[in-house]
Amino acid sequence: MSSVVKVDLPRRKDEVTDGNCRDKVLANAPEPAHGFFTVPKVVE
Amino acid sequence: MAGLTDLTITAALDGLVKGAFTSRELTEAHLAAMAEARGLNAFVVETPDKARAMADASDARRKQGKVGALEGIPLGIKDLFCTEGVQTTAGSHILEGFTPTYESTVTANLWRAGAVMLGKLNMDEFAMGSSNTTSYFGNVVNPWRRKNGSNVDLVPGGSSGGSAAAVAARLCLGATGTDTGGSIRQPASFTGIVGIKPTYGRCSRWGIVAFASSLDQAGPMARTVEDTAIMLGAMAGHDPKDSTSVNVPVPDYRAVLTGDIKGLRVGIPKEYRVDGMPAEIEKLWHDGMAWLKAAGATPVEISLPHTKYALAAYYIIAPAEASSNLARYDGVRYGLRVPGNSLDEMYELTRAAGFGKEVKRRVLIGTYVLSAGYYDAYYLKAQRVRSLILRDFTQAFDKVDVILTPATPSAAFGIGEKADDPIAMYLNDVFTVPVNLAGLPGISVPAGLSADGLPLGLQLIGRAFDEATLLKVGQVVEKAAGFTAKPEGI
Repeated sequence: MSSVVKVDLPRRKDEVTDGNCRDKVLANAPEPAHGFFTVPKVVE
Repeated sequence: MAGLTDLTITAALDGLVKGAFTSRELTEAHLAAMAEARGLNAFVVETPDKARAMADASDARRKQGKVGALEGIPLGIKDLFCTEGVQTTAGSHILEGFTPTYESTVTANLWRAGAVMLGKLNMDEFAMGSSNTTSYFGNVVNPWRRKNGSNVDLVPGGSSGGSAAAVAARLCLGATGTDTGGSIRQPASFTGIVGIKPTYGRCSRWGIVAFASSLDQAGPMARTVEDTAIMLGAMAGHDPKDSTSVNVPVPDYRAVLTGDIKGLRVGIPKEYRVDGMPAEIEKLWHDGMAWLKAAGATPVEISLPHTKYALAAYYIIAPAEASSNLARYDGVRYGLRVPGNSLDEMYELTRAAGFGKEVKRRVLIGTYVLSAGYYDAYYLKAQRVRSLILRDFTQAFDKVDVILTPATPSAAFGIGEKADDPIAMYLNDVFTVPVNLAGLPGISVPAGLSADGLPLGLQLIGRAFDEATLLKVGQVVEKAAGFTAKPEGI
């Protein structure tokens, strides 16, 4: 079963509809730095 | 102006039009009621400054003749809806402090219609629960109390428990809820209010914290059928940002409330006569049939043979989707982060500290049923059962126009009862879960009182996208029931 209502998933043009909102994206990040998310060191 | 909080949305709109009071006065009356009723713990966040600003803006718009469908009406918003600049937690520690930089489509639609936000309403954590006792921000208390026996605090139902308690206690004229397995209809029934779960796809899910994406649907909760009709009209509509939101016209739901149900065929599913059903629920159901018959409708016995598998299928599908959806809470991009020595340790510590017991239980169930060795045996099988449940309804709707059932198997229970038995808790949703599995609309209407003086609701189930018939029949039930009881002290 793919959907409970009888509709096909709509298609839209493959184009950018969103963006240029880095600061909004990072607004709730626990420890942002230099415009990035940060995580504990993963490479020694 | 205490009388202002006891108005229906319909009456409040009339009063605003006539200039009997302003939105600011209406809003102040509700803010005062909220401050007095903090013992119910219905609100996680109150937004009095925002409410006053929105009310003043509404009064200014009215002076210019710009009047929306909910112009000046103060509402509460379930804490599952992202609200720009106002903390949105889904009742979870893991999202504590999360302040969205965007507005959910449904709430944006309400504000465009002129509504005023009073605050964010408490709920079961990630909408997982039927008693509003899983919230990180504490239990919500039902404003109703038993007339006989013990006077313990009762649950308001869940997961939209804060919404239900706030509407019943006259802290807001209406509230938004969401319903994945009964989370609008069960709390509405427990608190003597009206709640409608629209057809899957009727309201946009964009900006609503996801629990089980193929089942979740937003809907209104208010004190009358007409009030929910007004709210639903404002909330619903196609949204390109939610690919599952359906592009069909939204009818004028208020205009369909004609009371004329002559010749309508009302299905009575025999499988909903569950073992051990309390006599008062059975009686209420019979009352409902009699009322609809008296209004000119014809009761027809129908069979929904796969009903008995619905809860089992639901408790595979919903946790499976939840375990995927909740994978995003890892302490990296938003919400709680508990520091660890490695990335893996940070994930583990964050999720261990951020999620409550019920959420962890469902994430574990979901992960298990989706795991490589069990996917076919559990998840795929549950999906097949889901198709059969949908087919049951489709076949039933060849014979009937609407289906009448009880909303819940009991009245509200005490806080802490059923707490150590998750299955007993899950059984609360036995009448509501099949509707979500089939994506259909369902409405709960207060119809009577239990022996203990607590509200009981009847549920109507409709064809996909036929909320109009549900509301019309719902109002006939509402009028015939003449439900005028109120919680103590209101």
